[in-house]
Amino acid sequence: MACRKAVKAVLIDLSGTLHIEDTAVPGAQDALQRLRKAAVAVKFVTNTTKESKKNLLNRLQRLNFNVQEQEIFTSLSAARSLLVQKQHRPLLLVEDSALEDFSGIDTSEPNAVVVGLAPDHFNYQTLNKAFRMILSGAPLIAIHKARYYKRTDGLALGPGPFVTGLEYATDCKATVVGKPESTFFTQALSDVGCGPDEAVMIGDDARDDVGGAQNVGMLGILVRTGKYREGDENKINPPPHLTCNSFPDAVEHILMNLL
Amino acid sequence: MADKKWPGCAKSLKGVILDMCGVLYDSGEGDGVAIPGSVEAVRKLKTSDLQLRFCTNETQASREKFVAKLGRLGFDICVPEVFSPAPAVVAVLKERGLRPHLLVYDGLLPEFDTVDKTNPNCVVIGDAAEKFSYANLNDAFRVLIGLEKPLLFSLGQGRYYKETDGLKLDVGVYMKALEYACDLKAEVIGKPSPMFFQSVLNDMGLQPHEVLMIGDDLVNDVGGAQHCGMKGVQVRTGKYRPSDERHPTVATDGTVDNLAQAVDMILNQRN
Repeated sequence: MACRKAVKAVLIDLSGTLHIEDTAVPGAQDALQRLRKAAVAVKFVTNTTKESKKNLLNRLQRLNFNVQEQEIFTSLSAARSLLVQKQHRPLLLVEDSALEDFSGIDTSEPNAVVVGLAPDHFNYQTLNKAFRMILSGAPLIAIHKARYYKRTDGLALGPGPFVTGLEYATDCKATVVGKPESTFFTQALSDVGCGPDEAVMIGDDARDDVGGAQNVGMLGILVRTGKYREGDENKINPPPHLTCNSFPDAVEHILMNLL
Repeated sequence: MADKKWPGCAKSLKGVILDMCGVLYDSGEGDGVAIPGSVEAVRKLKTSDLQLRFCTNETQASREKFVAKLGRLGFDICVPEVFSPAPAVVAVLKERGLRPHLLVYDGLLPEFDTVDKTNPNCVVIGDAAEKFSYANLNDAFRVLIGLEKPLLFSLGQGRYYKETDGLKLDVGVYMKALEYACDLKAEVIGKPSPMFFQSVLNDMGLQPHEVLMIGDDLVNDVGGAQHCGMKGVQVRTGKYRPSDERHPTVATDGTVDNLAQAVDMILNQRN
C-alpha cells in the first residue's frame, strides 16, 4: 500500500458501528470529534432502511454525536433517485417510519416492488402480492440485501433473505441500490468530491461495508461490534484492510497511519 | 434384448410409482376432484402383477389425513404405500440423532409426534403457507445461526403452486431465504432428491430400471426419476404445460394424455 494516496474521506456506517439501537458504542462520540479535527471529509452511510434520514439524525444527536443531516447518505435516498429516474410507481415494502423519505412519489396502481426492511410487511399475503406483481413484469428493487441485523433481543432477518426468495420464485434479478453496490459508494463519495483511492469505509458488516467498499477501491475497516461474529473477516477476499475492536480503534488507526 | 423404449419397456417392468396431485386428482375447494379415469386406473394397477407405490411432495397434511381425503375421492390407497417428505425426514432425523425446530403447516405436525424436539440442533421447513410470518421465519433463523454447524432440511424446493385464488409461494422460496441468511445449503427431502426415490425403490425391493415413474411435474417427477435410472412418463394433466415437451434439459420417455391412458398402454404391453 506504499503508493496509496493520503485519505481524504471517511465513510462511517451507523447501526452496529456508532451505536446499537439506542446505545452509543463506548468512546465513539469522542473518536468522531478527533476524526473531525483532521483534514478529512466525513460521511455517514447506512442501509438502515426502516428509518428516515430525520429519524437517524435525531437519534445520533440524542446520543451526542456531532452530525449534520446533509452528511447522511442512505439506501432510501438511493432508492428514491432510482424511482424518480425510471418513473416507477412503487409498492413500498418499507416500514411506515421510512415512508417520509418517499413523500411525493406516486404509489397508485403500482408497477414496481421496492423491498426494504419491513417485518410488518413480510407476511405470506403481502409477499404473495409482490410475487404476483413481479411475475407479471414489475421490476424488483431491493434497498439492500443484508442477511441479518442486530436487535437488542438478538439477530433478526434483514431484507436480503426475502429479496433472494422473491428472486428464486420469479426467476428474476433484483436491482440493489444500497451497500454493497458500487454505485452506492461512488454516489456517497461524489458528494465530497474525492475518489475511492482516497477514502476509507468503517463498518461492522464484512460483506456489505468492508467488501463493498474494497470492491470499488476504497480501504475497508471491520469493527468487532454490532452484528460482527467471530471469523467474519475471513468471509471476504481480499480480507479487510484492518479488523479492530471498535470505532475508536478504527479512528486511531486512520489518524496514525493513513493521513 | 429387452425393449428400452416407451411403451415397449412396460413388458419388463416390475413396479410403478405414481405422483399424486395432478395425476390422481386436482386440488381445489374441499377435497378437490379426481381426474377422470384415474380411480379405475389405480384399481387396474393394483390387480396387476406390478408393484405400486405413491410418491408426493405434499406437506400440508399428515399421510393419514391425506390418504383419507383420497379415499373420499374414490381411491383405494393405504398409508404404507404413500411416500411423502415428512416421514422421510423423520427417518433421517432419527438416524442422525437430530432434534428439529419445525416450521411446517399445523396439519403436518402429527408426523413428528415421535421426534424429540427439545433443544433443537437443526431446522425442518415445509410448505407452511400463512405460517410463513416474519416472526416464525426469524425463529427458524435464530436456531440456525445459533448452531455451530447450521443444518436445514427443506421438504421439497418448489417455487410456487396454483390454488383456486391464484399462485402461491412454495417452500423453496423460504428455503432460499434461510440459505441466504445463514450462508448454507439446505438438504432437500422429497422429489427430486435421489435419496427419496431410492427409499421407494428399497421398499419395493426393485432396481431402478425395473420401475416407471408417472407424474405431471417434468423436472421433479420425470427428471428426478430418470436421474435415478428409472423411466419417466409425463401426463398432460395437473401442472403440465405444452412447453414441457420442448424443455431444454429434461425429455420424457413418453407423454400421455392422462393416467388412464398410461395404465392401459402398460397393461396392453404385458398381455
